[in-house]
Amino acid sequence: MKRYVLLVVALCFLAIYLFPLYWMYLTAFKPSSETFTYPPTFWPADPQFNFLQVFVDKKMDVYLWNSLVVACGTTVIAALIGTGCAYALARVRNVWMDVVLFLILMMQVLPPSLMATPIFVLFNQIGLIATPRFAVILAQTAKVLPLYIVLCRTSFMQIPKELEEAARVDGASRITAFFRIIVPLARNGILVTSVLIFLQSFGEYVYSRTLISQEDLQTATVGLMNFMGPNTTDWNGIMTYAVIYVTPIVLVFMLLQRKIVSGLTAGALK
Amino acid sequence: MSALLRSLRDGRGFDVALAALALAYLLVFSAFPLIYNIAMSFQEVDMFSLGDLVRPFVGLANYRTLFATPEFWSIMSNTAIFVILCIVFQLAIGFGLALFFQQDFIGASYLRGLFLAAWIIPALVAGAIWKWIFAGDFGVLNYMLMSTGIIDEKIFWLSTPAISLYSVIIANIWLGIPFNMILLSVGLAGIPKDMYEAAALDGAGPWGRFWHMTLPMMRSTIGAVTCLGVIFTLQQFDLFASLTQGGPANSSNVAQYWSWQLSFQNYDIATGSAVSVLMLGFVIVVAFFYVRSTRQEYQA
Amino acid sequence: MANFTKTLLLGAAGVLAMTAAATAEPVELNVWTIDRQADPGYNYVMADEFMKLHPEIKINIKRVEFADWANDVMRAVATGTTPDVAYVDNPNTPFLSAKGALLDLTPYLAESKIVDTSKIFPGPLSSVTWDGKIYGLPRGSNTIALYYNADMFKAAGLDPEKPPQTWAELYETAKKLTDPAKNVYGLAFSANSNEEGTFQFLPWAQSTGADFDHIADDGAVRALEVWQKIIDEKLASPDTLIRGQYDSMASFNAQNAAMGISGPWELPRMSKDAKFDFRVALLPTEKAGDTRASALGEGNNVIFAKSKHPKEAFLYLEYMYSQMPRVWNEFGFLPSYPVEAKDPKWADQYAVFAESMKYARVRGPSPDWAKISKAISTGIQQALTHQADAKTALTTAQTTIDGIVKK
Repeated sequence: MKRYVLLVVALCFLAIYLFPLYWMYLTAFKPSSETFTYPPTFWPADPQFNFLQVFVDKKMDVYLWNSLVVACGTTVIAALIGTGCAYALARVRNVWMDVVLFLILMMQVLPPSLMATPIFVLFNQIGLIATPRFAVILAQTAKVLPLYIVLCRTSFMQIPKELEEAARVDGASRITAFFRIIVPLARNGILVTSVLIFLQSFGEYVYSRTLISQEDLQTATVGLMNFMGPNTTDWNGIMTYAVIYVTPIVLVFMLLQRKIVSGLTAGALK
Repeated sequence: MSALLRSLRDGRGFDVALAALALAYLLVFSAFPLIYNIAMSFQEVDMFSLGDLVRPFVGLANYRTLFATPEFWSIMSNTAIFVILCIVFQLAIGFGLALFFQQDFIGASYLRGLFLAAWIIPALVAGAIWKWIFAGDFGVLNYMLMSTGIIDEKIFWLSTPAISLYSVIIANIWLGIPFNMILLSVGLAGIPKDMYEAAALDGAGPWGRFWHMTLPMMRSTIGAVTCLGVIFTLQQFDLFASLTQGGPANSSNVAQYWSWQLSFQNYDIATGSAVSVLMLGFVIVVAFFYVRSTRQEYQA
Repeated sequence: MANFTKTLLLGAAGVLAMTAAATAEPVELNVWTIDRQADPGYNYVMADEFMKLHPEIKINIKRVEFADWANDVMRAVATGTTPDVAYVDNPNTPFLSAKGALLDLTPYLAESKIVDTSKIFPGPLSSVTWDGKIYGLPRGSNTIALYYNADMFKAAGLDPEKPPQTWAELYETAKKLTDPAKNVYGLAFSANSNEEGTFQFLPWAQSTGADFDHIADDGAVRALEVWQKIIDEKLASPDTLIRGQYDSMASFNAQNAAMGISGPWELPRMSKDAKFDFRVALLPTEKAGDTRASALGEGNNVIFAKSKHPKEAFLYLEYMYSQMPRVWNEFGFLPSYPVEAKDPKWADQYAVFAESMKYARVRGPSPDWAKISKAISTGIQQALTHQADAKTALTTAQTTIDGIVKK
């Protein structure tokens, strides 16, 4: 019985929380003229199905592909560079490691809109603008790396030191112990963090807009902005675009996160 | 040489190399823009010298200009209110939801997954949606509050100076909840079940278990989430751009948006950079406390 | 040393090859615009036609968000990656020309058979002039006027042939037309914290004789007090403070506002969305017979000083300039020099806007316009939110502006 009560409560929470999301879906189905009527309508009187048309007209396949490239590239580089650092920061406790952690946190405080100009100047100097998507990946990695490191670090903290020491007694070098014992044990943490990083990078906007000038290399959020602008009226089209963009990720994420979070409880760790 | 190699492969050097790699990356790609910003805050900058590092040095003149602006203190206190309220509520609601969804009921993990939808909505779209929800004349929030009789008169959420900042805060809390919830969920999942069982046997009630076990065990997670939360909150830009543009009369303006306005709407890059340096100072304080808190972390 | 010579030789060969190629291959012009490809898209249309006339010139258009325009242009100037030709909003033009970022067109204009700058209206002309030299050509202009819903006038017993002429009449009319029960406000306008707030306020101040460099004059204060009264009595939505003109006018189109202050760019959307008899009148003045004033909008086509193809770029500017007779019907701009309007769309509204154009004044001109404008819009917002009375708010603005202008 209690379980059903909990379910009902959960659904209520969800209904409140997801209301803005519902509004996005609703607007995607409403004709533009219905968007601003008062009192607002909670169900489209005359539902529109423009998904295919928006997808084709706005060349969403190209944009989404570019977003995917940026997001994958960022996640891979961040994982390659960040995992080891997170591990080192979790294992070693001394003043120097504190300084490193401090520096890492401090370096990502300004919003991308303020970082974009210096980064553009730098990348322009060293010729990275010629490979714009790669430039965005590098800049975005720098932005998400502190997040990656801090999050991964907490999952390395939870791995008992004894496990590594036992492996070392068996004759494994630290490198071997790291790749064979530690990383597999922390895989859930690494996975959750990577997924979060991936999702954040998928929606990257400021760097793409600044560093990429060719239309066909542009990402999905910039593509969205191109017809969003200040003087827009096509809210139906914009929200249709947003729905196409958001829905697949929500679905994949719903399935994935069950594995991610509940996988942790079932881990052989404790 | 071989000693160094051995240390790298099998000793202290291994940790150092791992940490140094990430640090080096950040030094190249993040420290440069930061130093660039800091440098500009002490210089006279115009459009043509924007690309150089060597520019006329003006000492603290930009900061003096900044402190002399009438809106300086109100924007700084808005920033503090924004950060503190966002963090407190994101953490509290996120923690509550994480605890709630940790219980065993049908669909718990799927439903929790749905909360993450907000994390992936592009900030621009989130801004547009919240702008309609908050709109005074045709907004759905006013409609619902009025039809349920909670309010009698429309509230102008975004254009009333006393309210506008809080409206942006509400929208930003909404955006931040998934991040807090998922990380705290992962932290909770890391607490061994048998510890709870032992505590229950000892007669500890739910509150006692929460205060004496859950909270201390979650210390490192809460620390990390708070620290990152502060950084994310300070990075929040798009919501201000789409909801209020800092208005009316700067009542909802915060440092990060103001810095951008000064640089790219007033073309006063030097003063804009000075604001960003002040933000940096704020984060230094937060990062300092976080790093100190990690010293007392629970270590498995 | 041998290496060095080799490099030098290779370099020389490269330069030779490039000059040879330049004559054979088409010249490429990079153009930045805020137009959209999907909309009428002024620059897209112009570039297509121009390339047909000049097959040897290829134009690459990059779209820049209006909000990011300054961001992008400053970055480009700093790194030497400016385009050849760009669109610049008129109050921002002195900012670029005073700093030497733009090509001085005066020598080219002296030889031009197409452009006669003496014909350009004084408003747009002064926006491209700095220090006696010309740095751009207007692509068109716009200005603001009072739109009103004639059907609502009739329903309220007002005469739609007699739109309000003075501030007092505007206030009275707005009051009569406001109907909270039906979600109708009397007036829609924009007093947001951006350029748009200043753009809408300046003509009110100017018609009393005030201007940006003496914005705390009594006339400007009285103008701001009228705005205060309109907002305080909810004759216009409180959201006026955070909405731009386009969003505000959406409420006029949806019949949630009976009158609205905005420009001709509204007409294409209005003729689609507005299901009523909409008309336009000149902006009211304080008293009947006062000097009229209106705000000058739209912008200029400019060539950047670093352009490698100034001649071709100027050809393109000339072409765009010569198309002025079409801009009203196709793009909704008002012509910037007198042209014979044949069969204009929305003929009645066109007549009013064309008349209003005579009173249109440039904002500034000042290379620091952005800062001046911010001081004014901040003052407006302070008064409208009652953080200060109108006089104090505008005096504060004036102090800030003095600091900027006299620097």
